[in-house]
Amino acid sequence: MSLKSHLGPAAIVVMLLGLSLVLAAPQAAVLMGNADAATGSAMHRLVFLNSTLPRMATALLAGASLALSGALFQQVLRNPLASPTTLGISAGANLALVAVTLFVPGLLGFGRDLVALCGSAAAAGLVFLMGARQKFSPISLVMSGLVVSLWCGALSAVLMLLNERYLVSLFIWGAGSLSQQSWAIPLSLAPKLALVCLVVAAILRPLLLNELGDAGARALGVHMVRLRVVAVMAAVALAAFVTSAVGVIGFIGLVSPTIARLAGAPRAGQQLVWSTLIGAALLFLTDTALLATAGAFADFLPTGAVTAIFGSPLLLILLPRLKIRHRLMEAEAPVSLNPATARLAKRLMLPAAVLVLAVALVFGRSPDLGFTLMPPDLSGDLLALRLPRIAAAFFSGAMLAVAGTILQRLTGNEMASPEVLGISAGATLGVAVAVFLVAAPGLGAQLGFSALGAFAVLSVIFLLAARSGLQPERVLLAGIALSAMVDAVIGVIGATGDPRAVFLLRWMSGSTYSVSAFGALMAAVLAVLLISGSAFMRRWLELLPLGSSAASALGVPVGRARFLLLTLAGLLSAAATMSVGPLSFVGLMAPHLSRQLGFVRATPQLFGGALIGGMLMVAADWLGRSLAYPYEIPAGLVSALIGAPFLILLMRRARA
Amino acid sequence: MSLALTRRGFIAAGAACVLRPDLALSAGPQRIVSLDYGLASTLLSLGIVPKAVASRADWDVWVIEPDLPAEVVDLGSSWEINFEVLTSLRPDLILTTPFNAALTPRLEAVAPTLSLGVFTADGGDVLPKAFAATRALAARVERKDEGDAFIARTEAFFDECRARIARIGAPPLALLSFLDARHARIYTAPGLYHNVMQRIGLANAWTAPGNFWGFETIGIERLAEMKDPATRLIIFEPVPADVMPKLEESPLWQALPFARPGQLAVLPGALMFGMLNDAMRFARLITDHLEQAA
Repeated sequence: MSLKSHLGPAAIVVMLLGLSLVLAAPQAAVLMGNADAATGSAMHRLVFLNSTLPRMATALLAGASLALSGALFQQVLRNPLASPTTLGISAGANLALVAVTLFVPGLLGFGRDLVALCGSAAAAGLVFLMGARQKFSPISLVMSGLVVSLWCGALSAVLMLLNERYLVSLFIWGAGSLSQQSWAIPLSLAPKLALVCLVVAAILRPLLLNELGDAGARALGVHMVRLRVVAVMAAVALAAFVTSAVGVIGFIGLVSPTIARLAGAPRAGQQLVWSTLIGAALLFLTDTALLATAGAFADFLPTGAVTAIFGSPLLLILLPRLKIRHRLMEAEAPVSLNPATARLAKRLMLPAAVLVLAVALVFGRSPDLGFTLMPPDLSGDLLALRLPRIAAAFFSGAMLAVAGTILQRLTGNEMASPEVLGISAGATLGVAVAVFLVAAPGLGAQLGFSALGAFAVLSVIFLLAARSGLQPERVLLAGIALSAMVDAVIGVIGATGDPRAVFLLRWMSGSTYSVSAFGALMAAVLAVLLISGSAFMRRWLELLPLGSSAASALGVPVGRARFLLLTLAGLLSAAATMSVGPLSFVGLMAPHLSRQLGFVRATPQLFGGALIGGMLMVAADWLGRSLAYPYEIPAGLVSALIGAPFLILLMRRARA
Repeated sequence: MSLALTRRGFIAAGAACVLRPDLALSAGPQRIVSLDYGLASTLLSLGIVPKAVASRADWDVWVIEPDLPAEVVDLGSSWEINFEVLTSLRPDLILTTPFNAALTPRLEAVAPTLSLGVFTADGGDVLPKAFAATRALAARVERKDEGDAFIARTEAFFDECRARIARIGAPPLALLSFLDARHARIYTAPGLYHNVMQRIGLANAWTAPGNFWGFETIGIERLAEMKDPATRLIIFEPVPADVMPKLEESPLWQALPFARPGQLAVLPGALMFGMLNDAMRFARLITDHLEQAA
């Protein structure tokens, strides 16, 4: 408790700062020292004073605030997976910036910061609005934040894809560059952050009580709702200020509190303070290292993307040491539609599926831009083009839905989905490697590399998690780390302006565009095999959500069951990703929808979810082919765009 | 401006009349579609109007000239052309680049496909590759004479620009596009702009080579690496609205010798991933500007 518990985190901060000073020293010496040098030295000095120094200050400030924000989120939401991005702050800011850049570029004259701040505030407001209905319960906030975040992300991706011209500046902003030309940013950032820190200091004591769980804290007389609102608002403000000033530097907010916890700062107050210091030191070190090695790379590297590339392996290494304490989490009442509506919806599901498939197959657009039935003279050609896409969309949607159901039941975490597991991220990384190794990879090379990537991630997760008995939180954290790393790699590629980034962005957004007849057939076979395989494990899926001790008391071999279910979820995600890209939103949404329609037990939820997932993807694919014709919007993005508001609507209806 | 457009439109219409595919005696391909702006633009200069061009909707933003006749169909994004449109057009030749190699097998299933690379990962100067691709295209569409004439026209125009620039003498130029107030794309070897500058006798102030498209993304502070105080800065449109006001506030920008009126100019854009037409447009824009500034 006393001095001893501060030693670990303090040592880490000192180590990080010391390392950065070693890296920064030669630079400072060269620039500040030899004033007697030739003509260039005045300019060097100017660069050092107006670019290098403010950049260092910005790194320290941004790192500190993001870490504090992350620590606050993790305390308040009582979720070790929470980070500034969880509430949709950066996604909201990003969407605002993308939209303004494309539609009212004049507004940027008033300040890019202001636009981004409005976007984050709007996103946070929406999340609050949804959270308020459930008294800001940790799960509902995370869930709402995730939905808003995915929705904003999908919409900005659509806007970016349809306007490739502006892609690079958006990528740079999205990847978080700390490069500075004056003191303007750090000087405007500092007072705002100081103000928020004062607020945080004021709520520090009640936050300690928060550790006891809702019931305990309420008994001690703390108004939990008000406390959570203030704490979350402070965290949102911190993240929003940084994001609007320098862009998305997300990983610091996730990794710093984790390091603080691992280094032995067990209490809420200590965690907040040490997370902040560790965050500042971590971002400072990353940026100094980047500056020191800048000459070695021909390309431009945004710091935010680099923190994620280096931060995620760090988290992977630390993972086995992470103590995941049993958290007091009140069970949520099962949510579903009123019985009459649910019965009607269930009865309409099959006819609706048939209708969706038929429309997607024969109805389309023609070069004169009208909607038409398939013209007979072209029907052979068009069917050959449409059938594989529709089949791949259906079976991939179904597989992702089943993977999502398994993961959510296995982990008891509503955030669980194939993308969170990192499988689709691995597949994307494989394709990224292919694009850069093979210069112009064919379809076969793309598929091969994506499969390799998916299975590499799967084995890494198993290696890391096997040591800890495959605890669900650990697996999820490993997946998130890997996903963030892939995002960062794509961010770096995009920010250098490499046109191949557009290709990767398209691949990531999940298009059925490049599915061949063989690919569709393969998806169908795999879907049938794997989904029926998961039905055999229904007993485990039924019992595991009760907790590992209860499940093993009922005769479930917990370790083996988890291993097999994870393998199955991994295979399902990899198979779906290989044919249509990482369409994570369906894997997240379909299990929820299935449960809300009243499919509460494992087997009905699996099959109901599979049908919903398949239908959703086919509808999304058709919309994506028709809306911007002859241009295409990837099905994965469309499904996120129509799916998220739908999910919000269902959540609200269930409450009323 | 409107006069120029009318004149160009008139010439294009005239060319279309003379070279109506159904009247042409040549046995070359008649229904050609292009996935690439540079190849489509070159095709127009060979006297052939393509049936369809990918990303046709953005032609007027990126390529600007030559004008694309209204009847040319949009193929959809060049990354993911719409196969339903492509199939219904029943083309007899598809022009593409190695950049779209992943699509090539599917394109070949629809019609004979010609892939010509100008910007390729093996690097090397872009302009000679653009000349070679023009010759190859002219041969494939059986317009060899038109191709030779087009190349001669281009070389003559470069010679003219070179002579005009030699008369006035020009400082080293740095070419950039602003991405936001802190970042820019600077154009360098082995890119199209850089090669044209070499060809017409201009020095590029940014000497480090870039990627194989011929640019590098930099933070603005790195502009200080250019030491020659005579350096002139050419900024290509569009410039985001907040860039100039923000730069005015930066002491670093203020201290750059070329960041002041008279040594800095904003010019309309030209397609940097293009071929000969785009190279000529760039040469014309730059030479006209230097003459005005002299």
